Amino acid sequence: MRLSRRRSRATDLSIRPSRLRLGDLAGEAALAVLSHPGRSLATVVGTIVGAAAFVASLGLGSTLNQQVTSSFDVRRATEVVVQPEVSDDREPWLAEPALQRLTRLNGVVAAGRRVTLPEQPLHRTSDPRHGVVGAPVLGTDPSALRVIAPALTTGRYFDSFQEDAQAPVVMLSEVVARQLGVHRVGVAVFIAGRPFTVIGIYHDVTRRPEALAAAIIPYSVAHRLGSPVGGRGTKQDVLIETFPGAAQLIGRQAPLALRPEAPTELRAIAPPDPATLRREIEDNTTRSTLMISVIALLIGTISIGNATTAGIAGRTGEIGLRRAVGARSSHIFLQLVLETAALGFLGGVTGALLGVLTTSVASVANGWTPVIEIRVALIACAISAMSGLLAGLLPAARAARLSPVTALQK
Amino acid sequence: MLTLEGVERVYHEGQPVHALRAVDLHIDSGDYVSITGPSGAGKSTLLNLLGLLDVPTAGSYRIRDMETSTCSAAMRGAIRCRLFGFVFQAFHLLPGRTALENVELGMLYGGYRRGRRRRLAVDALERVGLGRRAAADPRQLSGGEKQRVAIARAVAAQPQVLFCDEPTGNLDSTNTAIVVAMLRELNANGLTVVVVTHDADVAAEARRKIQVIDGLLNESR
Repeated sequence: MRLSRRRSRATDLSIRPSRLRLGDLAGEAALAVLSHPGRSLATVVGTIVGAAAFVASLGLGSTLNQQVTSSFDVRRATEVVVQPEVSDDREPWLAEPALQRLTRLNGVVAAGRRVTLPEQPLHRTSDPRHGVVGAPVLGTDPSALRVIAPALTTGRYFDSFQEDAQAPVVMLSEVVARQLGVHRVGVAVFIAGRPFTVIGIYHDVTRRPEALAAAIIPYSVAHRLGSPVGGRGTKQDVLIETFPGAAQLIGRQAPLALRPEAPTELRAIAPPDPATLRREIEDNTTRSTLMISVIALLIGTISIGNATTAGIAGRTGEIGLRRAVGARSSHIFLQLVLETAALGFLGGVTGALLGVLTTSVASVANGWTPVIEIRVALIACAISAMSGLLAGLLPAARAARLSPVTALQK
Repeated sequence: MLTLEGVERVYHEGQPVHALRAVDLHIDSGDYVSITGPSGAGKSTLLNLLGLLDVPTAGSYRIRDMETSTCSAAMRGAIRCRLFGFVFQAFHLLPGRTALENVELGMLYGGYRRGRRRRLAVDALERVGLGRRAAADPRQLSGGEKQRVAIARAVAAQPQVLFCDEPTGNLDSTNTAIVVAMLRELNANGLTVVVVTHDADVAAEARRKIQVIDGLLNESR
């Protein structure tokens, strides 16, 4: 190695420039942090809070998202509706073989026809002057009824026997039943002047919420009512229940199964892909929680910077002594920055643990499944260490610039 | 060993202040030098220049014929670490670390391995009679014990010159006597000792007595 003039002169005293081993540097930083727990805690408390807020807000955010989408998945993500692009009279796609092709598809739980009649007059007695109630009437086959899955208050569903026999039976939603004054099954109501026997009253539906204010009759019977099928205001469609997660697939396959010769004539309405939906919701909630978290971490950085400045002010004598016993200003700088970075990291770890704890406790208290990404906790630790390092740069540089004499006078 | 020639130190804080004017001083190996004088006369400035804690504004300072004005800061640090020991009035012991760790700190930047630092530190503490207090926190030590730990820190790596800035300024007469006896013994073993002091009794121990008044030196033997 070529020695500079200065160095070769110095070797006259056979002394090498002062140096600090890496292990000793780390040891000094660790000792400084650990031997003053109070000072360390004061420095790092802002970072702990920041990291805890970061992990907890993101954790609670994703827990809530999971909660929203899981309740969402169960109801809506298993439902597909197939409608004609243009109504036509003959409706070959509603024939029995077409439905069988559809039902055979892997992922279909049930599929059935439905006809929606526009608002019909309903009344209790043969004399329509006493309390006429207007309500839409749905004609469904037993499979479509299963897709709607009304929750019964009393009575039962109609089945394929009543469907085939074109039996005049009706299921009333609680809303319609109350307006008609019907409280039990077995009574007769008139729909468009024809008598029907009430066999069930329901208060809720799993799918197709429009059935909540309607009456449901067998599909075959709906044909006999005043408005001819395919007439004005009458809509035909096919309701499909799928296995969870299969809705998108069935939505693509159903038109082909129902009408292989002209699948484009049909339109399948499937719920949005749950994954996409979840991402959208997450994006929204995450953006706001992320803002809060970043602000929290920023405050942590500022507080670590402040506390470090104060802490170093109290260590001027120590810095002077280190310089007197040979430390270079770069040694002082490195040690102080390493200390704040280590403190930031420790604060991040503590904060992340607190955040995980907060998320878990809040979730358990509310009966949710906590969803915590380990990535978030690691990011919190990394950001905290980084913020500690950044916060330490300025006070450390200032301390390193102090002359030994000035530092020793303090 | 240490030679100052025409050394000046001027502080530029508003009005230039001449802390030292054209100082010539030679200190031989094994000398025992006391520096006295009124406050603000330049005693500490002289000690800081000799100890390479400060740099002269003019003149030449040679250590064993090596000119120090061209030394890098790192080299001055290394010389302080290897050749010099420092004892201060305020002790400058680190709280939260044991007496032994404080003594080791004096050798941290000298490139000694950990095990060697530990051995030298144990020896040094024994020599100042504090072997049994090695594990004590400085906050548990008396003023005299603190200064003895500081002396152990200064001499652990066997320096050639010991610089003491008011070493007894915070001590009672009993502890002052102990510290003075230690300095005498260290000097008797060949260590060059330079003491800045207000205390006439401490100064009287030295073989060479230097007075600093208004930045000028006046030596009486």
